Amino acid sequence: MAHPAPSPIYCLRGAGAPLNTLHFCCRGTDTPLLFSGSAKGMIHMWNLNSRRPEKSFEAHGGSSILWVRTLQSKDALISQGRDMQVCMWDLRGGCGELVDSVFTGSFGFCQCSLIETDQTKSLLAFATQQSEEPDSGPGPLLLAGYEDGSLLLWDVTQRSKLSQVKAHPEPVMCLTFDPQRLRGISGSAEKKLSSWILDSQNNIQLQECVKLVNPGVSQLCIRADGKLLASAGWDHRVRIFGWKKLRPLAVLQYHSDMVLSVAFSDHLDPRQRLLAAGSKDQRISLWSIYNEGAATG
Amino acid sequence: MQPKDLANADVRLTVAQNFRTLASSTDEKDIIAALQTLLSFVNDGPGTTVTSAQRSEFNKAHYTRTLQFLVSNIQADWLKKLSGGQRAELWDSLFLKGPPEQTLLVLMEAIGELRPSGSLDRIVNITERFLQSGRLADLLWSYCLQTSLSDSAQLRETLLSRICALPDLTANKLHPNNRPLFSPQQYYPLLAKEMLTALERTCQALRDGTNCSLMFVAQTFGKVCIQGHSDAIMASMAPHLSACTFNDMVWQRVCWKLLENVPQRWMESVLTGLVQAVHGPDALGRIIGNLVLTNKTAQFVITHKVLLLQYKYKTQVLRTILSYLAADRDRRPLLIQVLRSLSQAWANPSAIKHTPVEQQFYVSKALLLSVSLLKDSELQDLRSELLQCMLGGMQSHLDSSVVRIRNMGMVVGECLSSRMDFGGIKLKFEYEQDEETRELLFLMNPDPCEESEPEVCSSEESDPSPQKESSQPKLKTDPDSELDSDDDLTPYDMSEDVKMSKASQPRYLRDCLEILLSSADPERVELSLIAAEGLVRKNSFAAKEVSVQMTKVLLHMEDKYSIDGFLNLRQATMVALTVTDCLPVTQYLTSEFYSLNYSLRQRLDILEVLALAAQELSKPVAGDKTPLVNSVPSTEISPYPGDNPVHWRQVVEKRIQSKTKYISKGASQPAPKGTRSRYAAVAGYFFFPLLRNYDKPQVTFDLLGSDHLVLGRLIHTLGIFMHLAVNAPIAAQMGCALLDFIWTVRYHTDQMVRRGILFAVCSVFLSMPSHSLLVDLSDQLFETRTWLADVAESDPDADCRSLAVQSLVLLDESLKKQLQGSKQPSLDS
Repeated sequence: MAHPAPSPIYCLRGAGAPLNTLHFCCRGTDTPLLFSGSAKGMIHMWNLNSRRPEKSFEAHGGSSILWVRTLQSKDALISQGRDMQVCMWDLRGGCGELVDSVFTGSFGFCQCSLIETDQTKSLLAFATQQSEEPDSGPGPLLLAGYEDGSLLLWDVTQRSKLSQVKAHPEPVMCLTFDPQRLRGISGSAEKKLSSWILDSQNNIQLQECVKLVNPGVSQLCIRADGKLLASAGWDHRVRIFGWKKLRPLAVLQYHSDMVLSVAFSDHLDPRQRLLAAGSKDQRISLWSIYNEGAATG
Repeated sequence: MQPKDLANADVRLTVAQNFRTLASSTDEKDIIAALQTLLSFVNDGPGTTVTSAQRSEFNKAHYTRTLQFLVSNIQADWLKKLSGGQRAELWDSLFLKGPPEQTLLVLMEAIGELRPSGSLDRIVNITERFLQSGRLADLLWSYCLQTSLSDSAQLRETLLSRICALPDLTANKLHPNNRPLFSPQQYYPLLAKEMLTALERTCQALRDGTNCSLMFVAQTFGKVCIQGHSDAIMASMAPHLSACTFNDMVWQRVCWKLLENVPQRWMESVLTGLVQAVHGPDALGRIIGNLVLTNKTAQFVITHKVLLLQYKYKTQVLRTILSYLAADRDRRPLLIQVLRSLSQAWANPSAIKHTPVEQQFYVSKALLLSVSLLKDSELQDLRSELLQCMLGGMQSHLDSSVVRIRNMGMVVGECLSSRMDFGGIKLKFEYEQDEETRELLFLMNPDPCEESEPEVCSSEESDPSPQKESSQPKLKTDPDSELDSDDDLTPYDMSEDVKMSKASQPRYLRDCLEILLSSADPERVELSLIAAEGLVRKNSFAAKEVSVQMTKVLLHMEDKYSIDGFLNLRQATMVALTVTDCLPVTQYLTSEFYSLNYSLRQRLDILEVLALAAQELSKPVAGDKTPLVNSVPSTEISPYPGDNPVHWRQVVEKRIQSKTKYISKGASQPAPKGTRSRYAAVAGYFFFPLLRNYDKPQVTFDLLGSDHLVLGRLIHTLGIFMHLAVNAPIAAQMGCALLDFIWTVRYHTDQMVRRGILFAVCSVFLSMPSHSLLVDLSDQLFETRTWLADVAESDPDADCRSLAVQSLVLLDESLKKQLQGSKQPSLDS
């Protein structure tokens, strides 16, 4: 008999707006942090020990925030908003201090993508469409999903298109990529996820699809150990799949509206790892799932 | 003149003297001398003193006589005295060295006359050695050279029949001690080998400039084939001929001549055997040459019989024949002619109705094959004809009520249109791909297995497949799948993960009805359709209030929103309504069946719903676990509880139980409880209204005319009602009415209607009590029997035939039961 579906270990309220993006920062600090960006332009920094917002500040002039990420220097945060700006914040003060901003000129919903090649250099891609970076090959490669449902692989230094494949009939809503396995998965407004691999010639090859019960996925996330895939569904549910065989493992039901974002935490201790889901119902739920097996193995 | 006569007299004298010696002498030396003298006539080894004139005189006039003499004296003492070696050298050699045709005739005659004994064994041994030592080839070869001494038509005929029927003759006589060599499995391949040897010698002789006649070999060939042994003969001959003719013109000429010489009456079996045994059209072309052009019978067989009438051959045979016709410039007009007749046969509407489906499939295959063989220029000339055929044929195929025929029409139409290329426009139908359609589509591709190596075609079948197969499974294995998998992660319960929908399911049947009537929200309509059946079954009182209205709404409902499983949901709800509130709904449905302004689909729906409901009603209610479902229908089906037989029986049983003392204490096994069929009481309501108006054609519905699809289903449904009404009191009346109804349409042209009719007849015979079958139908039974026998014999549709046989069996059983049953009481009394 299968276990009943798990429930969240706790949830964070008070963001006051749908939560578009989540980002964990648990490594190397005493207090694990979770950053969230809301549709009303608020960036919250949650302390996961006290489970309270540590800092919060309004960014992007109240425009919806699409994406937040910290740099390796822990006090620097990059955020992308729908005011066509990408901003960099200094968090050392009481609240965020604007350091720099870039005008993107894009009204789209596409999130940025960040690659940190070493301590000092990092590369940011924005504004085209949804994107994600693999860490293989000679130069940085960029995967982008487009509104016509196709996926493109770009060589960033050559500025050339390496491969193109039509993965979905609907716009690509989200994609994620596992650089170890050279395998990725993308979601759309339909009832399926399609997975694909990069072969040795850097061609994208479509592989099997995963059927969903209800259509629409807003974000996909692979856990750092490459075992789990989480999907944020429009049907209020977070689905967990085994990443290797894409076997459905669990359906997390808590939210009462569309789930907009999911993120796995980067805890060093695998038993502490968390899954966070941010929803349109203004709550962030935190789950501890499949942590035991990883501790033994 | 003089010296020859003299020599002849001399020979006769010598033979007579030796006969006398053998008959009378007791001296062993004399006997041996006499036999040696006789042997010297046939033995033309070195040191013989017999002249060739003497020998030929002996062979012509005395050899048969000698052999007959030897056979008749087979029990003589002198033969016993000879040692084994002497016997083999003298006695046996006489049989094995002379003219083989005479030997064979004498041997066969002896086998026919002798009783089972040592002498018969001796003769059989000799015959076996005769066959083993290749004397048959010598026999055939002697006829090729036309050197046979006594050659009359009668002799030839006898010899021919002896050669061809040797296994039969020996089996008749020697059973069960027949020799393996004489069995057809061994004899006919041997005969084939001997014929090939004779042909080989002929080729050699032709190269040396000698004339030969293949008449006798051809006759043997033909006769063996017509006697049904063409498979055995061809299996060894066809590959050999194909290999020999591959690069030898003489062999080719010999083969052509051989087939030309086959008598007309045997040509068909030779050719049909050959086309089945030969590999590929090239081999066929080499072996028979342009026989189809020169020989009318061959032409008829190849271009008409095999392609249009005998639909038993494999596709490869069709391919061989048509490619053979296409391969040569001279034969190409025949291909065009064949194509014409094929397309006419394919498009013929009467053929579609009256020929078996298998034959139509065969003709379709032949048509597609021949079209694929045409060149573009030829296609241009034939375009208008083909177009005509395609359009007319497709129409009549699509009119048919048999799915296979419709599919055939669509596939052939598609293929023809794609081949003819109307400026890039192609026909495209939607049909389900099955084995048959795939086979037809596959035929348009060129021959995949061209003849590769004629030399090896006898034994080796080249198959390049293993390499492909071996490489395929490797692709599936994932390199790191075993290493670490998701299996250590046990999934949680995911049953909660159901489809999300904004609206909730309606909870009352009236809401459901309201939504179905008026809502334009696809989601709500879908949900209420899904919920409807359950609601009907859950609350039968509510269902009864709206049953007819609900049925009406459902009957007129269209699948506006392309809901998944719409037809099933609608049907299930209607069935539930009919079961729950039987009388009003059946009355409504049966009356609507004949009314105006319904589509055929709706009328078919009505029939299906009624049939399913009847089936459900006739099933026993599932136990006491569902008391609600159980109790409610039983009250509503029998509106007069006073008539209910269960009630009084229960009352009586209670009384009996209360007044009876049970003495036995063993565990009383509850007998399987009989449950009353809910259907029996209402069968008439299902059945009779549908019989009422069938012959009144309306503007929109002509049951006896063009709407035979519905007619077939109607009769089938009536058959189901009849079948389910077994043991019901009303069954006898229903049976009579149904047979009456069927009688008017029993020779309907549509096979689906005929199938329905025969099904109904079966169910009548199954369900009607046998005594009422005799009493009520006595005047019709005889005619019905004749009709059924006629159908069983001559209906083109195989299903119809088997159904007719089935119903005849059922009728006979029923009658037998009745007659025996009625006899027994009379004996007792």
